[in-house]
Amino acid sequence: MLLSAVNLHKTYRKNAVVVPVLGGLDLTVHSGEFLSIVGASGSGKSTLLHLLGTLDRPDEGRIYLEGRRIDNVPAKQRDELRNRTFGFIFQFYHLLPELTALENVLMPLMIEQSVFGWWSRRRELRQRGAELLERVGLGPRLKHKPSELSGGEMQRAAIARALVNRPRVLLADEPTGNLDADTGAEIVRLLRDLNHQEGLTIVMVTHNLDLVAETDRVVRLVSGRVEEAQPLPAVHAGAD
Amino acid sequence: MYKLVLCWRYLLTRYLALVCIVSVMLGVATLIVVNSVMTGFSTKLKDRLHGLLSDIDVEATTFHGIDHPDEKIERIRRDPFLAERIEAMTPMMEVFAMLQFEINGETILKPVRLIGVDAQGRARLGGFAEYIENKDHRDPPSFQLREEALKVWERNQERERLLEREPFAPPPKDGLPPPAPPVPSDFKPKGIMIGHAIAHARIPVLDEHGKPVLKDGKPVTEERELIHPGDEVVLTTISGQRIEPVSFRGAVVDYIKTEMSEYDANYVYIALEDLQHLRTMHSRATSIQIKLKDYERDKGEVSKRLTEMFPSCVVSTWEQKQGPLLAAISIEKGILNLLLFMIIGVAGFGILAIFSMIVVEKTRDIGVLKALGASNGGVMKIFLGYGLLLGLVGALLGTGLGVAFTVYINQIEKKLTDWTGQEIFDRSVYYFKDIPTDIQASNVLLIVLGAVSIAVVFSIMPALRAAMLHPVRALRYE
Repeated sequence: MLLSAVNLHKTYRKNAVVVPVLGGLDLTVHSGEFLSIVGASGSGKSTLLHLLGTLDRPDEGRIYLEGRRIDNVPAKQRDELRNRTFGFIFQFYHLLPELTALENVLMPLMIEQSVFGWWSRRRELRQRGAELLERVGLGPRLKHKPSELSGGEMQRAAIARALVNRPRVLLADEPTGNLDADTGAEIVRLLRDLNHQEGLTIVMVTHNLDLVAETDRVVRLVSGRVEEAQPLPAVHAGAD
Repeated sequence: MYKLVLCWRYLLTRYLALVCIVSVMLGVATLIVVNSVMTGFSTKLKDRLHGLLSDIDVEATTFHGIDHPDEKIERIRRDPFLAERIEAMTPMMEVFAMLQFEINGETILKPVRLIGVDAQGRARLGGFAEYIENKDHRDPPSFQLREEALKVWERNQERERLLEREPFAPPPKDGLPPPAPPVPSDFKPKGIMIGHAIAHARIPVLDEHGKPVLKDGKPVTEERELIHPGDEVVLTTISGQRIEPVSFRGAVVDYIKTEMSEYDANYVYIALEDLQHLRTMHSRATSIQIKLKDYERDKGEVSKRLTEMFPSCVVSTWEQKQGPLLAAISIEKGILNLLLFMIIGVAGFGILAIFSMIVVEKTRDIGVLKALGASNGGVMKIFLGYGLLLGLVGALLGTGLGVAFTVYINQIEKKLTDWTGQEIFDRSVYYFKDIPTDIQASNVLLIVLGAVSIAVVFSIMPALRAAMLHPVRALRYE
C-alpha cells in the first residue's frame, strides 16, 4: 500500500452556502497500480485528487504515504512532497506561457534546486528534461512555447514535467478532458506505458468511461464516498 | 532558480511593466537633473560668496571700530598657532553711504555700501582684484586713476569750467584781451571702484524714429554704460566722531563685476585711508579680514583662538555671515527633492496597480507553481524580485538619461531657446554664462537606491497577495 486515505471529509464554504464534497471517504492506492477514479460531475473526484496530492487539506480524516501521515505536515514538507513525490497533470495542461517546452518541463527541478545547485548541474538536468520530451514524442519541440503546441502536445509536455523529478505517484486530473477522443486515447496509452514499463503509480480522475479500460482498477465516487471498487466490465454496467 | 528565470521572463514579456520602468526612469532622471542643477547653483554661489568674502572676519561691535588694526594684525602674526594657519590679513572699513552722480544733467541718488580697503592687501586675500573689470588694472590693483580715466576726468572738468563762464562776456573796459584761463594743476582726484550694475543699465534700443525696437512683441534692450571711468561721483556717509554727514568727491577708476547682483548693484570701494580720513577715524577700522591656508581644516580652531584674543570683537566665518542665504538654498533644495521624490512615489503607485493586475492575470500560473512545489515565500519572492528588477532597470535607464541631460543641458537649453523663441535661462538674472551643474555620485546613488526601494516596497502587497493564493482556487481561476 503506497497511498491511503481514511475517513476523509471536505466541505467548501462560500459565504452562507455550505457545500459538502467528501463525506467520510476511504481509499487505498497500491504501489505500481494504475487507478482510475470515476463519478458524476460534483462527486468529489478532483477534490480527492487534490487532497491526496496535499494541494488542499481535509476537514477531517487522514492521508498516509508509505505509512507516514502527510495531511498534517508543515507547509514546507507539503511543498517538498508536491515537488518530489507527486507529479500533477491537469485537464488544461497549465503550462507556463512565457517558458519554452523544455523550461516548463524543467520547472520542478528549478523549484527544487538553488541557483548554485542548478548552475552546477544544469547540463545534466537539461539533458534529463530533453530526454523526457523525446520520450513523449516532443524531441523536436524543445524550444517551442505552449502557444506553438497543439493540445495533445501540451499535455505530453505536462506529462514530461510531472515526471522530471521522478515522482512516486502521478496524479492526473481529467488529463483528456480538453482533447479529442483519439488524442485522449493516445495520452492514456502513454500513461499506461509509463505504468507498465516503469511501475509508476498513477491515479487518474476521469468522467470518460471509455478510457478506464487501460487502467488496473476503477473506483466510483458517489456523493463524496467510494461506492465501490469495480473490475472493468462492471464499471460500464453501472454507467448504463 | 525558478524565481530568477520567471522574474527575467516576465520583464521581457509583460509589456505593461514597461510603463513602470518608464515612470521610474523619468522620476530618477528628473531628480538627477534637478539635483545636479541645484547643487551646481549652490556650489557656484558658495564659491562666489566665499570668493568675495574673507574666510574669517574680526569685527568691531561698537561705532568706534577697532583701534590700531595694524597692531592687532601684528599681534595675530606673533601668535605661533595663528601664524602657522593664516595666509593673509587686511583691515577694512565698511559703512552705509549715498552715491550721487549725474546722467544727462539729471542727478541720481543711490544707497550703497561703502568699503574702504587697502587695494593690495585686499587682493592678497582674494575676491577683489580678480573682479576688477579691466584685466589690465588687476595686477597690481590700485585706486589711482589711469591715464584714460584721468583724461576723461580732465575733459569733464574743462567742460564744467566752460559751462560756468558767461557765453558772451563784455569786452574789457581797457580794450586789452581777456586774461588767459587758469593753468590746470597737478591735482588728481581720489579713485573709486563701483559695482558694475551701478554703472550700467539695460536700456530699450530705439529705431531711427525714436521708437523702441521690438522682438517677439518684447522691447529689445542693450546694456549701456551710465558712469564711465573718469566720471565724478559724490559719496555721502556718516562721520566716525558724531552723527553728522560727511561727503567725498572722487572719480570712477574701474568697475567691480562679481556676477552677484547683491554686490554689483550695491558695493563701492575706496582706499581705506581715504575713508578713514573722511570719517575722522584714522588708525581705526570696522573689521580685520583674514584668509586661512586651509579653511575647512582650521576654521573652527582659528575662530576660537581669535575670539579668546579679542573678546570685545565678533569673530565669524564667511558661512556664518551668509548663514541665512546658505540655509535658504539648502532648504529650497530639500523641499524640491521632497516634492520630486513624490514623482517616484507616484510611479510606485503605478507599480502597485500594475502588479496587482499581473497577479490577477497570473493566478492560474501561481496555482501551477504551487502544485509543482513552489512555497508561498518563493512565489512572493518572484514578485518582489520582479519589482526590484523593474526598479533597477528604470533607475539605471533614468540615471543614464539624467546624467546625459545634465552634461548637455546648455546645448539643450540653446536648442529649446532657438525652437521656441523664449529664453529659458536668462543670463542677466544670474550673470552665469551657462547653467551651472554639479553631478555628485553620492546624490545619484541615493536617488537610485530610493527609486529601487520604492519599487520594491510597492510590490510587497501584490507579492503577498500572490503568496497567499490557495493553490486549488488559483488553479480553478477563470
